[in-house]
Amino acid sequence: MITIQSLKKAYKGVTVVDVPELKIQFNESVGVVGNNGAGKTTLFRMILDLIRPNEGSVMINDVNVQGNDSWKQIVGSFLDEGFLIPYLTPDEYFRFVGRLHNYSPEDFKNFYAKFEDFFQGEIAGKKKYISDLSKGNLKKVGIAAAFMGNPQLVMLDEPFENLDPTSQIKLKNLLNRERQERSVTYLISSHDLNHVTEICNKIIIVEKGKVIRELDGQENMLAELEAYFKA
Amino acid sequence: MVRTFLDHGWKKWTRSVSFTKEMATTIFLGVVTLMIAAYLLAFGFFLPTLLKDALNQADPIGFLHRLLIYYFLFDFVFRYLLQSVPVVEIRPYLHLPIKRSGIIHFLLGRSLFHPLNVFVLLLLGPMAFMTVAPEQGMVVALCWIGGFWLIAFAIHFLVMLFKVKLDDTLWGIILLVTVFSGLGLADYYGWFKLSDVSKLIFDNALAGPSFLAGCFALVALIYGIAFLIFRNSIYADEVPGQDKKQYGYGDFTFLRSLGSMGEWINLELKLILRNKRPRTLLFLSAFFLLYGMIFYPNPMYTEEMPGFLLFVGIFVTGVFMINYGQYLYSWQSSHFDFTLTKPVSLREVVNSKYWLLGAVSVICFLLTIPYVFFGWHIVLTNAAMLFFNLGVNAFIIMNLAMWSPKKIDMTKGGAFNIQGVGAAQWVMGLPIFLGPYVFYLPLSLMGYPLAGTLLVGFVGLLGIMFRPWLLNMTARRLQQRKHVIAEGFRKD
Repeated sequence: MITIQSLKKAYKGVTVVDVPELKIQFNESVGVVGNNGAGKTTLFRMILDLIRPNEGSVMINDVNVQGNDSWKQIVGSFLDEGFLIPYLTPDEYFRFVGRLHNYSPEDFKNFYAKFEDFFQGEIAGKKKYISDLSKGNLKKVGIAAAFMGNPQLVMLDEPFENLDPTSQIKLKNLLNRERQERSVTYLISSHDLNHVTEICNKIIIVEKGKVIRELDGQENMLAELEAYFKA
Repeated sequence: MVRTFLDHGWKKWTRSVSFTKEMATTIFLGVVTLMIAAYLLAFGFFLPTLLKDALNQADPIGFLHRLLIYYFLFDFVFRYLLQSVPVVEIRPYLHLPIKRSGIIHFLLGRSLFHPLNVFVLLLLGPMAFMTVAPEQGMVVALCWIGGFWLIAFAIHFLVMLFKVKLDDTLWGIILLVTVFSGLGLADYYGWFKLSDVSKLIFDNALAGPSFLAGCFALVALIYGIAFLIFRNSIYADEVPGQDKKQYGYGDFTFLRSLGSMGEWINLELKLILRNKRPRTLLFLSAFFLLYGMIFYPNPMYTEEMPGFLLFVGIFVTGVFMINYGQYLYSWQSSHFDFTLTKPVSLREVVNSKYWLLGAVSVICFLLTIPYVFFGWHIVLTNAAMLFFNLGVNAFIIMNLAMWSPKKIDMTKGGAFNIQGVGAAQWVMGLPIFLGPYVFYLPLSLMGYPLAGTLLVGFVGLLGIMFRPWLLNMTARRLQQRKHVIAEGFRKD
């Protein structure tokens, strides 16, 4: 799904990301963990062609993300509020994103049905602009929109941050259910080791821009992670 | 306490990311302010002579008193456009053990340090010493000018109250201007003499200390009201001066049938209509359509310097394109990452922006057709300039706007907001307004001004014909620069 080759990014001489090689297979669910400043968001932004790397390339399905638009049809992403349009209501925003994916009224109905439980009655049909939503509700809008168009790859940066406990559990179930129903690749960063081990079957630990370790489907991923971060 | 606030304010300014960039703009504005102040002072010294000799007024003070009410009304409107409500920045202090009333006294007090509050001294100060003092004595003169200064303060706080209550909309001011122009006309034709009322009020200004005391009471009263309102409304969620929201307007469903491009135009229209700053721009553009009224009725422009009509034509048909287009990418700075990650090509984005700018220009042109009243050549010139705007200037604007655009905070107000101003905005005007003359002047100097105008239109038509190619080029440049632009937008 994603092939990263000798990807490097440095700001004023300080290397932020340095990944010689990284492959993420289709239908894998990959978690990215690392302390603040590890370069997770920069890595995500380079995968989405939002930041130009100093060296190397990112391929999605063998298409270089730089200079191409076709991958955008199959990649859903939500990193931060820059992915939302503040002066639209959530419904208008969903309609706009859906139209970019050629949604039919039927598709919209399915979309709202899928996320009804997650929204907890606070988003759909509300007469409120996105700029006036709480942090938790902003997250919900962004995550839901990232799933529009049934993307093959979904990238989320800290999806559990700012969500209330109920919503965190609902999101976890939603992410797992989606993968039971269809094949989809996840790339999710999180500081919550519990959540990330429950969703992901592969975990990448990054530190100072480098991939330190890849944990692959082991039973004791959580224990290993805790041991790593304790040190 | 006051020192801490001042210190924080200074740090906020010097430590902001764009400090050095804003410096140039700040210095420029400072120089302009000083220039205006110098002009006002010069006019102030000239005023006694003007009233006495040029206007032949036997009682210059009395005559001035007749006009003062208009001066203060004008002052009010002017301040309404220029002054801001200084509240949002206090949020970080609300939860600290600082007296709420202390913060507000500081804010209100500091807001008085505004160049506008000195203007009345510059304008009427010389008069006080040159005319009032010799006639009425020094004490009266000092009370006279001091009282007017206090009235300026009163207006200062009144404007703030107004802005908080009216949510900073333009409608309030449009209403005021209409009412007072009406009163002015009534005065001029003698239906109702507002100037008599003015004289009645301001003749009291010669009463000496009691006038000063009265003015002081007025300021204290308005300050008190402002203080109470600000104190009661200082909660993080109801900061005064914020937009009251209405929902769901600005959706043009017919655009949906145009496919992806229609969706993006529709989105941008919502952006314009739902955010204060671009909305103000739109209103101003409508207002500037009347710009032609200054020039077209005047034979000096239409007959003696017909070349000047090109400038007017570019401006009238392109006012929105120029004003909105100079920040073309900054408007969407808060969701530029969205645009880059969603399934849309930059070519489509550029195309939708071109059609938006173009459509508004065509509408502007259609609205200027009534100027045919002043001669068919005006409509012809405007049509030629419309073509030039669509074929050449639109592409100049779309490309120059890519020159390190800055983030714009859409929640901030409209009039006289300089956020987002960068090098591109200073330079852009030159090619836009001078471009037509490159083609017009040679022919005009040879004695064929009409052919010159037609040539400008023809060049525009060429640009329109090569539009697909120019759009591709623009999209390619945006593709190359998008990382840099996105980077800049992510910073504050």
